[in-house]
Amino acid sequence: MTPPTGAAGEGRRPGVVAAAALAQTLLAANALLVLLPIGFMVLSSLKATREIFQRPFALPVVPRWQNYAEVWGAAHFAVYFRNSLIVTVASMALILVTGTLAAYALGRYRFRGNDLIFLFFLSGIMVPIRLAIIPLFIMMRDLRLLDTVWSLILVYAASGLPSAIFILTGFFRTLPPELDNAARIDGAGELGILITVLLPLVRPALAIVTVYNIIPIWNDFFFPLVFIHQDRLKTLPLGLTVFFGEFQTNWALLFAGLTLAAAPVLALYVVMSQQFIKGLTAGAIKG
Amino acid sequence: MRRQIWALLTGVALLAALWPAGAMGQARSPMTFWSWRGEDRAFYEGMIKKFEAQNPGVSIQFQTFKPTEYNTVLSAAMQAGKGPDIVHLRAYGALQPFARPEFLVPLDDKVPELKTFARQWLDGARSQADRKVYGVPFAVQALVIFYNKKLLRQAGVEAPRPAWTWDQFLAALRTLKDHSITPLANGGKEGWTLEVAMGVLGPNFYGGTNFYEAVTRGQTTFKSPQFTGALAKLAEIRPYMPQGFMGVSYTDMQQLFINEQAAMFVGGIWELGYFLSQNASLDIGIMPGPVARPGDTPWISSYDDGNYGVNAKTPHMAEALKFIRFTATREWGQAFTDQLKQISAVPGVEVRDPLLKQVVGWMRHATPYIMLVGFRWKNPTGSELIQNDLQGLFAGRLTPQQVGEDVTRGLASWFAPFKGQ
Amino acid sequence: MAGVAVGTRARSAPRRVPYRIARGLWIAAFLAPALLLFSAFVAYPIMTAMAYSLYRWDGIVRGGWAGTANFRRLFGQYPYSERMLVAFWHNAWTFVLTMIIQNGLGMLFATLLAAGGWGARVYRAIFFMPVVLSLVVVGFLWELFLNPVWGAVNKLLALAGLGALARPWLGDPHTALVTLILVNAWRWVGFPTIVFLAGIQAIPDEYLEAARLDGAGSGAIFRRIVLPLLAPQVNIIVILTFIGAFNWFELPYVMQGVTGEPYHATDVLGLLFYRAAFGAVDTGNPDVGVGSAIAVVMFALILLTSGLGALYLRQREAEA
Repeated sequence: MTPPTGAAGEGRRPGVVAAAALAQTLLAANALLVLLPIGFMVLSSLKATREIFQRPFALPVVPRWQNYAEVWGAAHFAVYFRNSLIVTVASMALILVTGTLAAYALGRYRFRGNDLIFLFFLSGIMVPIRLAIIPLFIMMRDLRLLDTVWSLILVYAASGLPSAIFILTGFFRTLPPELDNAARIDGAGELGILITVLLPLVRPALAIVTVYNIIPIWNDFFFPLVFIHQDRLKTLPLGLTVFFGEFQTNWALLFAGLTLAAAPVLALYVVMSQQFIKGLTAGAIKG
Repeated sequence: MRRQIWALLTGVALLAALWPAGAMGQARSPMTFWSWRGEDRAFYEGMIKKFEAQNPGVSIQFQTFKPTEYNTVLSAAMQAGKGPDIVHLRAYGALQPFARPEFLVPLDDKVPELKTFARQWLDGARSQADRKVYGVPFAVQALVIFYNKKLLRQAGVEAPRPAWTWDQFLAALRTLKDHSITPLANGGKEGWTLEVAMGVLGPNFYGGTNFYEAVTRGQTTFKSPQFTGALAKLAEIRPYMPQGFMGVSYTDMQQLFINEQAAMFVGGIWELGYFLSQNASLDIGIMPGPVARPGDTPWISSYDDGNYGVNAKTPHMAEALKFIRFTATREWGQAFTDQLKQISAVPGVEVRDPLLKQVVGWMRHATPYIMLVGFRWKNPTGSELIQNDLQGLFAGRLTPQQVGEDVTRGLASWFAPFKGQ
Repeated sequence: MAGVAVGTRARSAPRRVPYRIARGLWIAAFLAPALLLFSAFVAYPIMTAMAYSLYRWDGIVRGGWAGTANFRRLFGQYPYSERMLVAFWHNAWTFVLTMIIQNGLGMLFATLLAAGGWGARVYRAIFFMPVVLSLVVVGFLWELFLNPVWGAVNKLLALAGLGALARPWLGDPHTALVTLILVNAWRWVGFPTIVFLAGIQAIPDEYLEAARLDGAGSGAIFRRIVLPLLAPQVNIIVILTFIGAFNWFELPYVMQGVTGEPYHATDVLGLLFYRAAFGAVDTGNPDVGVGSAIAVVMFALILLTSGLGALYLRQREAEA
């Protein structure tokens, strides 16, 4: 392993070097623990189901690239991918916009009922939303939203709101009240204050909200399974469930599919992680 | 930097919105057929094609769902009146929530072919409330032991002719183990595989149908020495299961047997097709559960696996019923047995596979798969109780007596004869 | 909407009347979209489903009024009563262990990464990756690693001379829950890491510099300066962990089945609720009334604890 180069800036004493080495070991160990399984996912996607179990940790004897071709053909991957993207982006946008507005009201204004409304929102994450699947299904039927992406977008957005409001309200509250007052004296409107003054400061919270919600939405197969029956509207995770049988599961194809599904998200994350982390640490919560 | 992110996101969103939906074709599908058997898709689509050819203008779309969520999806859809036209249904207790006239069409008068079906399988399609039949039984399952002939030969174990006694069985397992061959592929991570093992190995000790009749009439309970004695016998296989067997899942079990890493597999006859499709060179033999005394006829736990039904609210009633009648024909049953290597519930189907044929012969001495057929009507079901308790037994947490007591106590909450026992 | 009514009676400093009205309207306008969305697609369906607990159920068909019968069955009838208690303790245990292991590690990693050093940016990116993976992948891979027959974990233990420790991690009732909690921590540790890291990096350097000049050790700096300034982040993580632990469902469901196998060792309230409400594949039947009753109990429990906790923290933050 590469020797650590003076962590924390001013470590020259042997104790500090040892601590830095220990830190490196810890960090490297966790990184390995994270990367290995991802490697195995890719490895398994190039094997036959039997081979996955026969030699789980070996390289594939002959890489079965045809797994990917088969998955691409069996599942209408391009379409599923597009649907997943639409659903995820749209629900995330709804969560961020409506959540920010509501959190702004709850976090920056004192009015009677504030706490009650806050609790009302928060109560939405206290029970699994799966509980409500039958009332939701009946409601979607009555709204004629079954078999549309809207059924998914609305449920994901609504069920993502509680955590979004919880996180954002907390951040809004930490910002000093002088900020709004100064802007107000300068003649800024209520919405203007939010957009020009406060929004840049809560960017880290927006990043946290995005991170907390986006992946569960991208990976969820339960709501699509119940709401979506037309093939051309299926999302990726739902499309992949065809490889599960009662007594037989086609693990090889499933892994090829899962790798394909994870690849764009991982790639996007790797590409954007610097920006994303900058977003997280930007602004000031130095109150 | 921020502008870049927004540009990227907008770009992605735009791309997504504009991306052509692809040439999916507007396959017009007036009828839908829901199922959880994703693995049997080729068979169903083939039969549907045949039906469509004989009935111009009819088209059926076969849709499969993840088996573990199938009930949830079907419940939501049926309650909202949005169910499929043709429904793949489970049997016995799990059928009951749907087996009512507002959800499904009673088939007694609609499908005359049902009159020829064996009564014991029709019971799996019958409503407890109105005693009507709501589905056409599609498969009959039997619980047996698979063995790998090659591995048995390697250890010098002679293949059983009709059935081993329990002592011969244990001796064979011991010999295999002495030759460093894992004797049994079975594990305990998933409780239902232990229930299956009890279904194979239990009846010959608790007395098969005699005990079944007595216990379902409330003349005895699961605390009786007959039943707990059978559990004690079952627990004797523990030393011959894989190392760390409590962590061996169902998929692991299948793979151990397919890859010839274990010599025997205590399971259901539905495995046959999958085993052979995964490893064509596997030399498989099948035997019934070992008997208590030499000369006894072995009991074979059997049950109706599930049924095909018709949604009471279908707008295509005539076509759907026509299709359901097709599933009750010899033609359907024969294709089912030939292609899937499973036993069709349709009477008169000729079983050509020699192994399957053997099992059908043993089924003349069939006994109901006890918890599924007799005790899955209400919660907690016998299966739910025994599956977890068997894990307790195999993990060394419970004694056979405690298992019997817990099952009886749990069932007593809804099975009146057990109350106060 | 409720926002209008409450907004107009604001108790803020006396201002010109038009502003007060405008302010109320603004508040209502800000709250309306979220309230509408949330009420229609979460609150109303959930309340409808919770009301199911007050009815008798014949399979999936609703019968007459049942009063408290479903609750009495839940608390009084074996085995529900016992499962409920067992599941509750498993949830509580999950919360405690997740706080210590996952969030403790998250804080440790965040501190180490904040110090900079070799590869900090790369690690930062890597640690978050498992969150991206589908649960199916996570479940399957860890089952493979922990498998007693061909799994890598037991093999590594044997190589390290610790073969005696090898066991069927997920199949042994003694170890299954803890193993599951560890897998969950593996998946989520990136989240507290990033949240804490963001908080630490936002602390002005002058504070730390001043403390160092005063001769404070790194432990003291962490306790006296970093931790108090991280309060908002810690609050968020604690509440989300609490809710996550008591709502835990997906991972146990994927890896241990809907009955919390083996021998109920990984049974949690979420599983208990799901199998009561929808039936367990084909081993159990739906018992909608009791399933909804479990959800009501879960709701009350989590709302009381975390809701009051969150309000308390909110008040404290406001005062700070």
